[in-house]
Amino acid sequence: MPEPDVEAGEVKISARDVQVFYGDNHAIKDVTVDIPDKAVTAFIGPSGCGKSTFLRCLNRMNDTIDSARVEGDILIDGENIYDRGIDPVQLRAKVGMVFQKPNPFPKSVYENVAYGPRIHGLAANKAELDEIVEKSLRGGAIWDEVKDRLDAPGTGLSGGQQQRLCIARAIATEPEVLLMDEPCSALDPIATAQVEDLIERLRGNYSVVIVTHSMQQAARVSQRTAFFHLGDLVEYGATDDIFVNPGDERTEKYISGRIG
Amino acid sequence: MPTIWLILIVLAVAAAGYAAGRGRALRGVGGEGRSLHSTPAYHGANVAMKSAGPALLLLAVWLAAQPVYVNGIVSAMIPDSAVRDGTSLELTLAEVRRTARGLDLAVEKGLMDEEFARDAGVDPADMTARLRDSGAVVTSAVTAPVLEAARKFRALDAAGGRFMAAAVVAAAVLGALWGIGQARKGFRARNVVERGIEAALIAAASIAILTTLGIVLSLLFNTVEFFGLYPAHEFFFGTSWAPSFSGRGGSSELGVPPLLWGTLYISLVALLVAVPIGLFSAIYLSEYAGSGVRSVAKPMLEVLAGIPTIVYGLFALLTVGPLLVDVFGEGGLLGVSWQGGGRSVMTAGLVMGVMLIPFVSSLSDDIIRAVPRAMRDGSYGLGATRSETIKRVVLPAALPGIVGAVLLAASRAIGETMIVVLGAGAAARLSLNPFEAMTTVTAKIVSQLTGDSDFASPEALVAFALGMTLFVITLALNVFALYIVRNYREQYE
Ligand SMILES: Nc1ncnc2c1ncn2[C@@H]1O[C@H](COP(=O)(O)OP(=O)(O)OP(=O)(O)O)[C@@H](O)[C@H]1O
Ligand SMILES: [Mg+2]
Repeated sequence: MPEPDVEAGEVKISARDVQVFYGDNHAIKDVTVDIPDKAVTAFIGPSGCGKSTFLRCLNRMNDTIDSARVEGDILIDGENIYDRGIDPVQLRAKVGMVFQKPNPFPKSVYENVAYGPRIHGLAANKAELDEIVEKSLRGGAIWDEVKDRLDAPGTGLSGGQQQRLCIARAIATEPEVLLMDEPCSALDPIATAQVEDLIERLRGNYSVVIVTHSMQQAARVSQRTAFFHLGDLVEYGATDDIFVNPGDERTEKYISGRIG
Repeated sequence: MPTIWLILIVLAVAAAGYAAGRGRALRGVGGEGRSLHSTPAYHGANVAMKSAGPALLLLAVWLAAQPVYVNGIVSAMIPDSAVRDGTSLELTLAEVRRTARGLDLAVEKGLMDEEFARDAGVDPADMTARLRDSGAVVTSAVTAPVLEAARKFRALDAAGGRFMAAAVVAAAVLGALWGIGQARKGFRARNVVERGIEAALIAAASIAILTTLGIVLSLLFNTVEFFGLYPAHEFFFGTSWAPSFSGRGGSSELGVPPLLWGTLYISLVALLVAVPIGLFSAIYLSEYAGSGVRSVAKPMLEVLAGIPTIVYGLFALLTVGPLLVDVFGEGGLLGVSWQGGGRSVMTAGLVMGVMLIPFVSSLSDDIIRAVPRAMRDGSYGLGATRSETIKRVVLPAALPGIVGAVLLAASRAIGETMIVVLGAGAAARLSLNPFEAMTTVTAKIVSQLTGDSDFASPEALVAFALGMTLFVITLALNVFALYIVRNYREQYE
């Protein structure tokens, strides 16, 4: 197991010996990792290796899957999020998530973004809410496309627009950690560049974890990279090191396109 | 020959044709099934289809047409003078048919021979006596024209039957020969059979549609007839329902509003019970209950839907009614005397509400579960609680479907009969007090048609107008519900 490296900033999330089971399927095996604050961490690995599963551990979304069982400790700001005293609802307000498949609510674009701020009471009045919505939509690089149709249903947008709407929705609650599961999988190069810009900006204040299948994207946006293979965390370290000088044969094969 | 034998013969021909067609197709290619365009079974099926299909169709058409034809000829034979005073040609024809059947019976029992039955010289009085001896139902005295018509009827019927048997069997055999002739290497039997199956399915669908159409038309014609006897504006706007049974028409008051009011009032009470309980249990089952609870609770709820409505009616009459009287009646728990007897809008409405719970809950449960999981995840991922997620995401997404479910339940409530017959009472009343007995459209249809009623009187015909009214209301509700449900389907696509 590689030594935890905290050079990129303070440790925000620290996972110790995490195991995840779906029934009898051991999907995450013994993962120990320290995710820094104010930095972007990329999870890469072949399909089905457990990237999404591990990501969902970080805001306890696995609680909503009946068959899923999580063992080990995950600490955010030194606090174990699997403690009894922790309310997963509060945790998720702090640890936002963008899902692999875009899932806008069947409501208007505006209501989609206003959803989080409303339930958490982040806006005192309509004007403030309008402001939050606009800021988030700009952050999600979709403002220009939807500013004239804020009342149109979010489900009526194109796939890429929906994905950016979901990003805007996630950042509207101003989380401290943002988990993004393949946020650019349905985006064209222009929107991808905009989302990458956004990630770059978010890095100033948040800890961002991104799952991606694009090596280039991981290299471009992240400071640290974790490579998963069949539920194991094979290698974790500074992105430059991993891509230039992979320590494990499997990592090397994967990033050069020979397994996966 | 009895028709059932004819059908069996046709089927036997078809079966033999199947074997022959199959065999011939195979022999044609020297047992090499692969070089046929279609498998041998398709060639066999083609033969069976061609022999049984047209033959059975012919049989059906013949069976429908022959009585019409025979009746036409026979009625032309009956002189006006033979029609008894105060009756119609129709009734006389029925007498002819009865007499003919009586002759059949007598011959069968050996009381007279065929010769005698056909003999035109036999005295009608003698014949009447013999027929009565044989146990046939005959009118006081069979008249000469009727007897003669009956003889003609028998002759035509017998000849028709023989022709029919011959034609049907011939059709079956010819069809089989045609199919067998086709069973050659290159023949596309598979495609032909496919088209035959399509035709059979279309026929099934048309029967369903035509039957519905027939029911609607019969309702419609009788309704029109009713409005010929009773003024429409009094039916729709009259505030009193008081049919008389002694005289014919005239003194009857047949206003539908009191009945409609009872129907709607009881349905409203039922929905007030069923919708909240059904919806909340659906939410519990789909969102909160673990799979263990769900697997027990859901079937148990659905058992409610399997209870016959007459049982609910008994429950209303024997349990709920007296209970309500104990609470709301004279000297009851509340010290009020709102409810006089067991039967009331409340009694029927509460019990009907219980009956509708599984309707609402089962449909709503399916609809709520159809809301994609990703939708809930999105909400949980933003830090929403379970009830916030249900209130703000799941229910709004499922709402149109739930409204559809409620409307379907409403149309069930409006059409329900047994519970209101037993639980609501028989008094047609326009009143706001839910503890009073009232009656509904369905209950009155039952009471207007039970017993000896003359189907030509407005008192009986009104049942059709009532049925039509109900039909229009429930149809409108159903169409509206389907429209809403369909719109809702498109939402996640
Ligand atoms: N809800 C679930 N129930 C049961 N098994 C699951 C569930 N979700 C994921 N798995 C299993 O866990 C393993 C890891 O899945 P996961 O979704 O984490 O992969 P991934 O790395 O995100 O793949 P991809 O790149 O294709 O998104 C897979 O074997 C998968 O079949
Ligand atoms: Mg994934």
